[in-house]
Amino acid sequence: MGRLGDHGQVRAGGDFQDNHTAEYDFVVVGSGPGGSMAAAILAGRGAHVALVEEGSRYTRRDFNMEESWAYPHLYQEHGNRATDDLSIIILQGRTVGGGTTVNWTSSFRTPDSTLALWASRHGVAGLDGAALAPHFAVVEQRLSIGPGNEDDVNRNNRKLWDGAAKLGWKPELIRRSVKGCARLGYCGMGCPLDAKQSALITYVPDALAAGADLYTDCRAKLIETDHRNARAVVAEALDRTRDRPTGRRVVLHARRGVVLAAGAINTPALLLRSHIGSGSGLLGLRTFLHPTVPLVAYYSEPIEGFYGPPQSVACHHFADRGDRIGYFFETAPIHPMLAALAFPGFGGEHRRAAERLAYAQATIALLIDGHHDDQGGRVTVDRDGRVRLSYPLRDAHVEAARDALANMARVQLAAGAQAVVTLHDPPLLIRNESDIAQIARAEFGANRHTLFSAHQMGGCAMGGDPATSVVDAHGRHHDLDNLWITDGSIFPTSLGVNPQLSIYAIARMIAGQIPTA
Amino acid sequence: MSSDASAGATPASPPRRGFLKKGILGAALLFVGGAIPIALRGGIDRARPRGALRLFTPREYAIFAAIAARIVPGDAAPAAAGPGPSPAWPTAEALDCAGKADALMAQAHPSVGAELRQLLHLFESGVGGVFTNLQVSPFTRLAPTEMDARLTAWRTSHLTLLRSGYQALKRLAQATYYSSPEVYPLMGYPGPPVVPQVPA
Repeated sequence: MGRLGDHGQVRAGGDFQDNHTAEYDFVVVGSGPGGSMAAAILAGRGAHVALVEEGSRYTRRDFNMEESWAYPHLYQEHGNRATDDLSIIILQGRTVGGGTTVNWTSSFRTPDSTLALWASRHGVAGLDGAALAPHFAVVEQRLSIGPGNEDDVNRNNRKLWDGAAKLGWKPELIRRSVKGCARLGYCGMGCPLDAKQSALITYVPDALAAGADLYTDCRAKLIETDHRNARAVVAEALDRTRDRPTGRRVVLHARRGVVLAAGAINTPALLLRSHIGSGSGLLGLRTFLHPTVPLVAYYSEPIEGFYGPPQSVACHHFADRGDRIGYFFETAPIHPMLAALAFPGFGGEHRRAAERLAYAQATIALLIDGHHDDQGGRVTVDRDGRVRLSYPLRDAHVEAARDALANMARVQLAAGAQAVVTLHDPPLLIRNESDIAQIARAEFGANRHTLFSAHQMGGCAMGGDPATSVVDAHGRHHDLDNLWITDGSIFPTSLGVNPQLSIYAIARMIAGQIPTA
Repeated sequence: MSSDASAGATPASPPRRGFLKKGILGAALLFVGGAIPIALRGGIDRARPRGALRLFTPREYAIFAAIAARIVPGDAAPAAAGPGPSPAWPTAEALDCAGKADALMAQAHPSVGAELRQLLHLFESGVGGVFTNLQVSPFTRLAPTEMDARLTAWRTSHLTLLRSGYQALKRLAQATYYSSPEVYPLMGYPGPPVVPQVPA
């Protein structure tokens, strides 16, 4: 047990020698951007709040910049989360601060076009740029999100900038949530300098300072309900050294309400386990991932994509492709393990890719799923409690991925790449424009090409109609009067930009509307 | 509530069916597996665990060690991959990839660990060979080039189930190997920078 702020206590699941029961006004599940924000707002308004986190609380002193430590300790399923058929690797935080502790700091406001789509097609009323603007402004100030900075552009990002600019595709600098950044390049493993303004060092301490209690290493298993009200969150305490239940239960009664922010995938799973709203058949449906297609290029000079801010350049030139799935370009950091998992093949073939790590540049295309007829993936829960995610790749995804690969190759060739090597299995070698035609012919599908996702959204969609949505436009569950959701699971579609700032701002708006008296 | 009561205990017998519950193809693999029991016996345990195992049995440890030895560069044979292995790259055994995989996957959901163990037995048995290259001998008895052929057969199979199995083995072996500081210099990676201590 320890204390961070003036009032709130920090309790770890392993500390409980017996079952633990406590009563609060609100119980918030998940300490990422949605949960930490809700806890800070509610506690700041005088409510007695418990913030429950499945992961452990680590600080900058723990962040050793080694992948062998970071992924098992800071990511869902110890870094092994993936879709059912392993075709899409899921990178998702699981620690105090949630995804913000391990994200790459990219900060975008929700595009107006996405908000307009939510209003017109999903009946989300009152959520437009003007309504969200004050929330964005407050969050941007708290997280030190300023204008994009050219000094943040490392060589990995510079190639994206150069290639896209040469083609007239208007690259842009990414705004980052950092203060005093030393540009080490290890944002995805936790910032060892506390330069990244993650929830771990902002909204979680704000919540604690306002009196909220933080329960770490406690896995929410069930929401207890009574008619149209959520009454308690039942969690199992975890032994952090083994990541196994200790056998102790933590039961947190909620006098006024429950706020869920366990993240897309885990929030719908918790509701499914609790049989809350599962009769509608909507829970877990329309889960979106920004399915991400990487492309590697090799240059004659060292790129050293393992150092420097992971993301500082984006290109949204292909975000709107009419009736076809759009996509946008960013870059990914190139650390040994993450790169090795992305490179296809094994043995000597794989070794030759690994040997050129320092000369590799990685551009990624993020598919903007859910804006057309594509239905995304589905979260389910097995009888033994295991959470599963299926995400079938449809023809529309394949068309977008192939188009994105071709255009990424053009960017890399324009930037001076000696060779572009796709992550098809087996890979394609592209040295000039005429080689790009291979992409259209190469098989693309589950485990035929490396795919990953660092942005999970949907599964508990908000909307105006209970027949087609799980929560209303204020984040309140259609079936329960005192249960709100403030994470990315409520997005009716993917965003088309990196999600952290949207989650913070929408959570702030929702939490401010929750009655505390 | 899920029951994790068995977590951490070393199981006595191979798990059944979990990995194969994938519809018709899984059922077909299970049927074929039952029809050729000879292929399920007679592997060779070349690798021995360095310490107490948390998930694998010694047999499963040996199977994974044999697979990892082919997947990572240190033992890579030249036949399937062009130029010969570089002696500078450490072997999977030197970095104890199997021991690291056991420790990592012991923390996974019990059903995930059970599926991995079943996958190891399936891959060792060569049951998948019936659908790929007709090679059904135990993996641990194969020559290095034959081992690579089995990996390639799964990697390029038209069955999603086998490609998924290949990916599971590939990722686990490579994750344990390439996150080891011993290989950083060989990749041209200087390692994490030294950062100044920030006062609390």
